[in-house]
Amino acid sequence: MIVTRGLTKRYGKTVAVDDLSFTVTPGVVTGFLGPNGSGKSTTMRMILGLDVADAGTAFVNGSSYADLSWPLRDVGALLDAKAFHPGRTARSHLRWLAQTNDISLTRVDHVLDLVGLTAVADKRAGKFSLGMGQRLGIASALLGDPGVLLFDEPVNGLDPEGIRWVRHLLRDLAAEGRTVLVSSHLINEMAMTAQRLVVIGRGTLIAETSVDDFVARHQSEAVRIVTPTPQRFVAVLSRAGARPAVEADGAIVASGLSSADIGELAADQELTVHELTPLRASLEDVFMELTSASVEYRANTNDPVAAAGALPTR
Amino acid sequence: MTTIPVTAPRRVTGGAKSGPWRAGLPQTMRAEWTKLVSLRSTRWTLLVTAVGTLLVTWLATRGATHHPAQWYRGFDPTNQSLAGLALGSLAFGVLGVLVISGEYGSGTIRSSLAAMPRRGVLLSAKVAIVGITTLVVGEALSFLSFFEGQAILSGGAAPTATLGQPGVLRAVALSGAFLALFALLGLGLGTVIRHTAGAIAVFAGVTLLAPILLHSLSESISRLAPELIFANSVAAVVPQGNSVSVTLGVVLMLSYCTAVLGLGAVLLHRRDA
Repeated sequence: MIVTRGLTKRYGKTVAVDDLSFTVTPGVVTGFLGPNGSGKSTTMRMILGLDVADAGTAFVNGSSYADLSWPLRDVGALLDAKAFHPGRTARSHLRWLAQTNDISLTRVDHVLDLVGLTAVADKRAGKFSLGMGQRLGIASALLGDPGVLLFDEPVNGLDPEGIRWVRHLLRDLAAEGRTVLVSSHLINEMAMTAQRLVVIGRGTLIAETSVDDFVARHQSEAVRIVTPTPQRFVAVLSRAGARPAVEADGAIVASGLSSADIGELAADQELTVHELTPLRASLEDVFMELTSASVEYRANTNDPVAAAGALPTR
Repeated sequence: MTTIPVTAPRRVTGGAKSGPWRAGLPQTMRAEWTKLVSLRSTRWTLLVTAVGTLLVTWLATRGATHHPAQWYRGFDPTNQSLAGLALGSLAFGVLGVLVISGEYGSGTIRSSLAAMPRRGVLLSAKVAIVGITTLVVGEALSFLSFFEGQAILSGGAAPTATLGQPGVLRAVALSGAFLALFALLGLGLGTVIRHTAGAIAVFAGVTLLAPILLHSLSESISRLAPELIFANSVAAVVPQGNSVSVTLGVVLMLSYCTAVLGLGAVLLHRRDA
């Protein structure tokens, strides 16, 4: 369980994380979503006590990170792809990490095997590809068999097979009852991996919800209509309260009415319809719209708290 | 690797284990030792230091073997045989710098602090491991240099020293310990500055340039530079021209190390990792 309350971090005049409160529960993968520079990494570093918060608190399993007796047995984290000395072998890196928390050295071999690095365990990590470095980072996070896991952009640099592997790993870890927080700037990746979402933009909370709820709530109800009489159709739609627009190919895209309503309307007004297609905005569109809205709104105000409140939150 | 062999049974929250109740200095020291010896650069640094030191000792003592008798007035055979340790002091300082700056350079510092969030414990473990390692190697080098130097001097017309003579054992043993203090000075500078190149530059400035620059100001101030305390006070049996007393020299060097490490500790606590 991870709980943050009013977490705030400033760098000079820039507010990187702004009064951020959210809860990450065990048993599901929680996606930590936001555009690059939205404060995801800073938040994760504050949870781990690496960066000191200017205000607010972060608790892991009910205590602040610095108060954990055996931090690596409670929390595993992957922060940078290459948070290891290039001159040290993968095995040596894991060995010293294990020693810091009295973790048995057989775990070192076990996690090396788990991430598929056994064959290169005694090679210097500086020679590793980004993907191999990422795997070593994941091995480090899993070393203490922790109940809470934080992964910052874990699929960076991985090949498609590796991405699928990470996706399965995260879900398996959550299914075992662990708390899993995984950051990403790619919503589609999160939609495939996460069950819950914490969405931030410019350091403020935009949404804290389930993936399904997030999609349902923010899905736009647009319908594409192809008709031989577009002008009349547009007039009818407008009168009915929809917001129609004529596309370059002559088709109408209308929002504000469902496809069923539009079908009824067409029958009622005896309009010919060649095509009637409900358009579902992709998750990516939803995400872009939400985060760009936060950016635009923030750019025009000096009150970031109000900005957060004006945005759809759970 | 399509299926993930995840181990069972799982502990969901970190569980109690027998033994100590929380991670502390012993665990962190063990890890720091592994870090130190698992880097090739450490082994190379120590090897090159040893070879270089003994080579300089050889050159310095060989050059002093055949002189007319009056040349040896005020000659300090112990000091002469410890000349090579100046090189060791530089190399150990660099080693001390690298122990922490290498972590900042690579990002390892975040792993270290995630594993041991109490930053004072981490720095203490580094001080202990760097201090003990360089003390052992430093003493070995100091005694080796002494015996090597005396063996070479005894082949010529030069006077020689034995450990039994007054002040000789003190000079040799203290010189070895001083090497460890140079390593700790480097560790402190590395903690404050965090960048390898910058910290090494400052360390080199303190050890190599400071004596020269201070000398041009005033000879009595230049005596306070670490390298001159080492060469003229600590490693000397016969008092050298420009020197402070051994006691003052040791107190000064300990003060330098404490000050720099103390500043490093404060900054380590304050700064984001």
